[in-house]
Amino acid sequence: MLKSRLTRRRLLGTSAAAAGVTAFHGPWVHNRVYAAATDKPIRIGITSDASGQYANSGASDRRGMHMAIDEFNAKGGVLGRKIEAIHIDTETTPATGSRVAERMISREQCGFLIGAVHSGVANAISQVAQKYGVIYLNTNSSSPTESGKDCHRVKFVWDGNGTNFSKAAVKNSIDSFGKNWMLLTNDYVWGHNTSAATRKLLTEYGGEISEEILIPQGTRDFSSALLKIQQAKPVVVAAAVGGDDQKALRTQVAQLGMGESPAWISNQQDWPDVYGLPLDNLFGVFGTTWYYKLDLPGVAEFVQRYQAAYPDTQMRVPGNVFYNGYMATRELLGAIERAGTTSNVAVIKQLEGHKMPATERMQHHDAWIDPATHQVQQTIYLATANAGTQDKDDMFKILTQSAPEDVLDAGAAEACKLESHADTPTFDA
Amino acid sequence: MTGLAPHLFNGLTLGMLFALIALGFTLIIGVMEVINLAHGALFALGAYFALTILGDWSAGTAFGAWWLGFPLTVRYVAALVLAPILAGCAGMVLERCLRPTYDKVPLYGLLLTFGAALVIEEAIRLLWGTGEKSLALPEAISGAVLVGGLIYSKYKLFAAIFALAAIAAVWLFLERTSYGAIIKAGAHDSEMVRALGYDLAKLRMLVFGFGAGLAGLAGVIMVPIWGLRPHVGVDVVIPAFLIIVLGGVGSFWGAVVASLLVGLTVGITGAYASAWSTMSMYLLLIAVVGVRARGLFGRKSALEN
Amino acid sequence: MTSLADIPRRAGAWVTPPMAVMAVVTVSAPLWLGPVGLHQYLGIEIAIWIIYALGFNLLFGYGGLHSFGHGAYLGTGAYAFGLFQHHVAVSLWGGLLAAVLTAGIAGALVGAIVSHRRGIYYALLTIACGQVFWFVAVKAHWLTGGDDGLLSIPRPALRLGVTTVDLNDNLAFFYLVIAVLAVTVVGLWRLVHSPFGRILQAVRQNETRAAFVGYHVWRFKWAAFVISAILSGLAGGLFAMAQQSAYPDVMSLHQSGLVVMMVLVGGGLVGFWGPVLGVALYFGVRDFLGALTETWLLWYGLMFVVMVMYRPEGLAGILHSVQAKLSCAPVLREKPTE
Repeated sequence: MLKSRLTRRRLLGTSAAAAGVTAFHGPWVHNRVYAAATDKPIRIGITSDASGQYANSGASDRRGMHMAIDEFNAKGGVLGRKIEAIHIDTETTPATGSRVAERMISREQCGFLIGAVHSGVANAISQVAQKYGVIYLNTNSSSPTESGKDCHRVKFVWDGNGTNFSKAAVKNSIDSFGKNWMLLTNDYVWGHNTSAATRKLLTEYGGEISEEILIPQGTRDFSSALLKIQQAKPVVVAAAVGGDDQKALRTQVAQLGMGESPAWISNQQDWPDVYGLPLDNLFGVFGTTWYYKLDLPGVAEFVQRYQAAYPDTQMRVPGNVFYNGYMATRELLGAIERAGTTSNVAVIKQLEGHKMPATERMQHHDAWIDPATHQVQQTIYLATANAGTQDKDDMFKILTQSAPEDVLDAGAAEACKLESHADTPTFDA
Repeated sequence: MTGLAPHLFNGLTLGMLFALIALGFTLIIGVMEVINLAHGALFALGAYFALTILGDWSAGTAFGAWWLGFPLTVRYVAALVLAPILAGCAGMVLERCLRPTYDKVPLYGLLLTFGAALVIEEAIRLLWGTGEKSLALPEAISGAVLVGGLIYSKYKLFAAIFALAAIAAVWLFLERTSYGAIIKAGAHDSEMVRALGYDLAKLRMLVFGFGAGLAGLAGVIMVPIWGLRPHVGVDVVIPAFLIIVLGGVGSFWGAVVASLLVGLTVGITGAYASAWSTMSMYLLLIAVVGVRARGLFGRKSALEN
Repeated sequence: MTSLADIPRRAGAWVTPPMAVMAVVTVSAPLWLGPVGLHQYLGIEIAIWIIYALGFNLLFGYGGLHSFGHGAYLGTGAYAFGLFQHHVAVSLWGGLLAAVLTAGIAGALVGAIVSHRRGIYYALLTIACGQVFWFVAVKAHWLTGGDDGLLSIPRPALRLGVTTVDLNDNLAFFYLVIAVLAVTVVGLWRLVHSPFGRILQAVRQNETRAAFVGYHVWRFKWAAFVISAILSGLAGGLFAMAQQSAYPDVMSLHQSGLVVMMVLVGGGLVGFWGPVLGVALYFGVRDFLGALTETWLLWYGLMFVVMVMYRPEGLAGILHSVQAKLSCAPVLREKPTE
């Protein structure tokens, strides 16, 4: 009696609430169905890390994408449609990458996905993207497998990979320093692929490797490895150490003052990882795809645009991660405009083989998107620490620049099997 | 053999540093029977507090200008003293949150500290940003020194000696002062201590604060070697865990001996089987605990139920 | 306060009212997931993690054995499924069987090491073993793909006698997962209310006493570990199909800790349905908050800490208190006349 009155009241109350909720959601659902293709905004899903190991690089990546999107929106959007971006944290975790990609495609109606630093996350996202036919731009993951065995028809890779940088670095270093090398390899896929590429090139040019020291992931103490290096006395150490391990390595080598001898060759050095650190942490020679003080037209003005758009960030000048995010987004939007449609097949065809002149790229050489591997072939720079500088931001000294033809990843085209256009579902944003 | 000696020395210094990390952890477990999974987060917090105290960020303000006028050594010593105290205060706040879980299964305390670790790491990310930072070191302790033809890091030697001094100080405190006696009594039989008239709640809060302070101190000392970023604490918790289980939960000497053992293992495998150096600690643990359940020096504790 | 040791109504039945409710909710999910602001893939993930959490709770809640390295078995199941598809045959049941067997064997091995212990040592050994699995998964990249992951795992078609169902569509796959979930739920319900389940709880409450009464305590602890590992492996195989890849990071301490958090918040320590609530809450909160703010983990962590402090019995416990209050209300309201 009393009991049943309570439950009936509750029942009425709950159903009233439920009705209200469904009414609220009703119109929104309808909008999705009725919206005409021409004035619906283009939605871009930004899949970058905001937590975990690559949070800092992810933030820089995002800023690049946003700046490109804002520039296009200021011109009236693309094909007359405004561009909207939605970002969900991928947490440097591949399972989260899959979930985020699925959510962005099915719930958020995103037509394009952009962003990655960690190759596992990039793979998770690209599998989902390929399943639906959604174009995905891998902005900053430099694993050689991204344009090799893990390539996809919908995926485009904007960063130089470990092989490119090795090719740029190895020949120069043998000539400058000598032939007796040691390898320091992070014991995971990227480390092994990079060291394998270095080893192959070294033997081609007549160098020899006295020892390869494996560094497990999560190593924080490099004293044993550094002691061994001191005992063996190679002329060059090629370090394929990434992520947090690399940061610890840099601190410890700097403390030992071992940055000068032996000579160190690292692979690519991401700007967000070293900005603000003391200069002696930046020992040895390393690679990058762009630098804010390149003496090329357009660079200074680009840096000013960055500073105007982001006056409050800690990073006062942009680096390669921001640059890749910006370039990828800009070229995607340009491709959509040239294609005249957001249908994925047409946009992919616009991107494949697309040539980007050096002036637009703010690099020394023209760049293009390789149609066989979907990787951007671009200028590779070798740099070292800018010793004696008074400007805290001007940390790099560019040593050489290599044309993309000279640092081509020859193995990639064989390893990469792109899905055919027929096998890729059509998708129209 | 001459090749081995530097690696042995290296392993011992590593062991000393591990001991500093493990000590705060084992104290909290011994007295309060709480497994503090936030130990790593407090480690990171101590390091970030030190970064703030060193003051590079404050250059714009008047206070900053005055503070930065002091030589780096003075500021560094201030950071070394104040940061652990601040970390200890954070620990005391955490202890306050743990109070509702004391009369329940130890699992709840562990889970609460797990959640607290997440919260502290996110808060660090919010307050100090996600980027890599570095702690400036005074001239006297940075740079390299030649010993027997090989280069060693001056800072690492300083850190190891400092850790040794800190451990000795903790031992003196526990063994030779009346406060230490109360803490040890509390670890042994907390009900009796309360019956004798000591305020158990206050004792627990102070012990937790002390343990957290040690974690913070370890942070300030280790971070110039490991680098400083928000999730640096994650690298701390697992070795600390392993060491105290290896040495025996709640045992002072157990923590010290186990740390040296782990340090030596990692140092030597790093030299001869480098791919296994991080795994070697786990294998060592499984081997020891597989044979002797309570670890090297462990006694039966309430945590076993 | 309710507890797992309470014998609920219809303990001996095959189907109970909460199961019926869950069946209705899951079968109708595709209809209401969209309007509520969720999406089909999330439904798949929630269902898979419910299987994982329920299996885990057999060990954690019913057995009182706190394993913090259970992600290892989820991951093992996922890799086994994937490797089976790549190297043996593209088969749905073959793959799931491989996942279940491999995870079961892994669980049997680790269970043999840990089942002698209790409490903190048990937990720490499970962490150590979990880390060993993670390390092997990352290091053996010729087998597992390492950090890059084991990719291109197909979703084999479901052959049902006359028809073949293509599982590439998320909707079809969802129905397969909830079918598996239904079987798991019924099986587990029967298991925990069987003599095995009662003895397991007796072991949790007092090992010495259970031993004195004559039960072989080690065997029960080991069996609970193996069964929970098998269920985790099953969830792992399904997860590999959902993501179409397998990665080492589910085996990390952080991820293994997450399932513990979910089970506790949901109230797995006091009720059979606790893990279900906990998983749904976690995924719902993270999907909802994650799109709003980058610091969602801060808020979830704070909520978790507050919950452990004041309501450690979790959601299931809270719901039970509310239910008890509602049904007792008439009696409590009457003031004694004096």
